[in-house]
Amino acid sequence: MQRRKFLGLGLGVAALSLAPISAVAKNYRKELPKAWKIKNKDAENDLTGTNEAIKAVFGSDKTEEGQIKLKAPDIAENGAVVPVSFKMEKAKKIAVFQTSNPESLVAIFDVPKNGIPEYAIRIKMAKTGTVTVVADIDGKLYRASKVVKVTAGGCGG
Amino acid sequence: MRIKAKAKDGVVTVKAMLKHKMLSYDQAKKKGKEANFIVYIVGKVDGEPVYEVSTSQFLSKNPYLKFKFKGEAGKELELSWIDLKGNTKSKKAKIK
Repeated sequence: MQRRKFLGLGLGVAALSLAPISAVAKNYRKELPKAWKIKNKDAENDLTGTNEAIKAVFGSDKTEEGQIKLKAPDIAENGAVVPVSFKMEKAKKIAVFQTSNPESLVAIFDVPKNGIPEYAIRIKMAKTGTVTVVADIDGKLYRASKVVKVTAGGCGG
Repeated sequence: MRIKAKAKDGVVTVKAMLKHKMLSYDQAKKKGKEANFIVYIVGKVDGEPVYEVSTSQFLSKNPYLKFKFKGEAGKELELSWIDLKGNTKSKKAKIK
């Protein structure tokens, strides 16, 4: 059994090393092709699509509050550039979702051994919606959300 | 690609701006072009990943990133991305 596991691992590493950029890296566009296609419902702040996407990325959408500090503006005058930042003590995997665009998933971070999960990105939001950050911390899922009011859409130009 | 990496007390803070149109499917349709956007970004020091993210069409045009990792000044950070069409770009920056 041990030996088999080891062999399997070897194969996995060999396959990954053929990937264009890195031997240890995980490109979730290839790993989870379906997760990126999960649609948002049209209604403002309807979390159905976000919850489905969370399940697709983490295997469950059962989340707890806490651990994550999320920063996003209350009102975004330019939906094309909405700054979103978040930090936590530690995490294995973090993903960002929103309800403002046709699909929910924005990004999936794998936190490497030396990584410190204090990240900032800028995202597009076509209309007012909820930004959600979910993190896998010691095998438990935590969630933080924030409603961002968008006064000018981000997908127009 | 512009990268600034500064070390303080064993923590490196990186600010980077990638050059990419990040054309979403909706935007591309309106412009009569093909959608294309960065799908994966990795930062490495000595070949070891220190930052890793898979991204979607909803990152803003010319994506701005800020991240931290444990590291020291003097080493080199290599930041690379790949887009939907398979174009890649890499740049190295010295950690100051």
